[in-house]
Amino acid sequence: MSDQHSPVPRPTDRGAWRLVAARDFRVRLRDKGFVISTGITLVVLSLFILARAFTDDTRPSFDLGLTGNDAAAIEQRADQVRAAAERRGVEVNSRGFDDERVAEAALRDGGLDAVLTKDGVLLGLTSVPPVLTQVVADAAVRGRLTAALEAGGATMGEIEALLGQPSIEVRTLEPQDPNRDENARIAFIAVLLAYGQLFGYGVWVATGVIEEKASRVVEILLSAIRPRQLLAGKIAGIGLLGIVQLVAVAAFAIGLASVTGALELPATAVGITFVVLAWFVMGFAFYAGLFAVSGSLVSRMEELQNVLVPVNLVIIVSFLMSLEALQDPDAPVPVIASLLPFSSALAMPVRIAMGSATAPQIALSIALLIAGTAALIPLSARLYAGAVLKTGTRVKLRVAWRSASAVGLEG
Amino acid sequence: MLELTGLRRTFGDLVALDDVSFAVTEGHIVGFVGPNGAGKTTAMRIALGVLTPDAGHVRWRGVPVGAQIRRSFGYMPEERGLYPKMRVLEQLTYLARLHGVAPTDARRRAQETIEVLGVAARAKDRVEALSLGNQQRVQLASALVHEPDLLVLDEPFSGLDPVGVDVLSGVLRRQATNHGVPVVFSSHQLDLVERICDSVVLIDDGRIVADGTIGELRARRERRLFLVDVLGEADGWHATIPGVELVDTTDDGLVFELGEDVDEQRLLDLARTSGDVVRFGPVHPSLAELFREVVGHE
Repeated sequence: MSDQHSPVPRPTDRGAWRLVAARDFRVRLRDKGFVISTGITLVVLSLFILARAFTDDTRPSFDLGLTGNDAAAIEQRADQVRAAAERRGVEVNSRGFDDERVAEAALRDGGLDAVLTKDGVLLGLTSVPPVLTQVVADAAVRGRLTAALEAGGATMGEIEALLGQPSIEVRTLEPQDPNRDENARIAFIAVLLAYGQLFGYGVWVATGVIEEKASRVVEILLSAIRPRQLLAGKIAGIGLLGIVQLVAVAAFAIGLASVTGALELPATAVGITFVVLAWFVMGFAFYAGLFAVSGSLVSRMEELQNVLVPVNLVIIVSFLMSLEALQDPDAPVPVIASLLPFSSALAMPVRIAMGSATAPQIALSIALLIAGTAALIPLSARLYAGAVLKTGTRVKLRVAWRSASAVGLEG
Repeated sequence: MLELTGLRRTFGDLVALDDVSFAVTEGHIVGFVGPNGAGKTTAMRIALGVLTPDAGHVRWRGVPVGAQIRRSFGYMPEERGLYPKMRVLEQLTYLARLHGVAPTDARRRAQETIEVLGVAARAKDRVEALSLGNQQRVQLASALVHEPDLLVLDEPFSGLDPVGVDVLSGVLRRQATNHGVPVVFSSHQLDLVERICDSVVLIDDGRIVADGTIGELRARRERRLFLVDVLGEADGWHATIPGVELVDTTDDGLVFELGEDVDEQRLLDLARTSGDVVRFGPVHPSLAELFREVVGHE
């Protein structure tokens, strides 16, 4: 060793929170829990998307037996039925049968949904699907009208003009977004993800705090940096990981849904993802301090559940209120929930996705959430600083508040 | 110089520190000794800013210690603490960075420190996989890794094997002598404190009861003890001199306490008339003996 002490230059400690954030981000990225939870989320989402892709897309389709000896007549009736089915947006596949008993047998073994006899009887097994009844009745009426008009000397063009679809313009006083159902589905997935993200990453902040407290490393850390740098770094690092995961999961889900055709409106989904992300960032900033304070009150992981109960309850109530918003986004409860800081992170994205939130409501929601966070941060920082060095029994909030007067809050 | 001035701290009704003042100067190793619960840890935590005093100040080179200054201190807390799942080298690099060491230097410093402390072979292991003794060495490394301007170590020797004790003694001596770093550490191993410390601060029941070099502490003590070993003496030969009291019988001879006005030569003369004197001299009390006397715990 040299005899001359070479002092290491001491830069200011302003960037210390970034070091903490980088460590927390890296450590949790490699954490088994993170890898597993990401995997489970992707699997569940994939199943949901694939299930939709393979069920929802097919039009209702029926198999109809037509009986009679005249192949040309059967062909004509089949055409009429097909045209009627087309007008109703369903698909009817017709098959001709010489023998009525063969058709009946096919009906019994499930090969046909109904049989239309040459006498005009629509035969079902236990019942006939209503849509199919309407299609067949429509075809029969049109057949008779066409015959009557032809007999009266009308040309085919005149008959078509007469029987063609009337052009009725439909208007509503309060039009509903035609994509509302699809948006609600996306919003449901989005709020589910946001809830899991808010909750999961909040708990991570709390466990991170307890880990440092339980292993006593916090005393080493706080002899080097200030409590609020440690707190800010932890929240930033874990929050950033939450954002990265949310973006990755959303990108995967939207990509998969677009490829498989489960999603009719990928652009909307991307928009909703951004809304959820924005409110997740704000909501996480709001809640993370509370999770950290909760964690700082206890010294052992076993006590975590008890100490998290108050924060948990608030988030669960917010989640339930945002589910309410999926049913009726304009009802008073969802509207209020979308404005209050403790619930807006979950409720507002739903209302935006459903097209029910107005611009002033969105602005008010953001303003309240930011104001609430700004009010909570110094509060949380003080309680955290007061509690995190007190190992042993659970720290009372009052004690934490008082003992924080100087620790780390100076300078 | 680190100065603690008028520190007072209570925990509820318990007065942990009562007007505690002492200083640690550049290049000196100060042993901080006292019975369990005397207030050593409380004083050290206050010096490091992880606990606030009810009254008093901590100054470093004349300036009140704030977060920025504290960053240059090296600290080993009573409750050892590291990230159990983090690897040794990675952890020390991180802690060096938190103390403000530049990224390029942090890793090199971490590597050097574990080499000095003899745990370089475990650089890639998780801390929890190490033996307690090696964890202790890593803990020491975390106090040294950022080339601190001051070292405050709470019981740094407890849990170390004799080799570890020698390594740490050497490290502390080099820090103090070569780098001029003031070092203060608490310990119950008083022979060790006596061997490596330049001075001692003795605390009891929240108050500083002695502060100075071991020579000064000895000089300050009021008892005059003499060891006399006489071959073939008759029992009770010493009983004729007033003011001489037999306080101990050891393998090396008898230990007498002499009253203030008693000339030790009289004792020697008497001893010589009783037999062959093979040993005669003042007894230098060990730190442990001084400790027991001052603190009053037998």
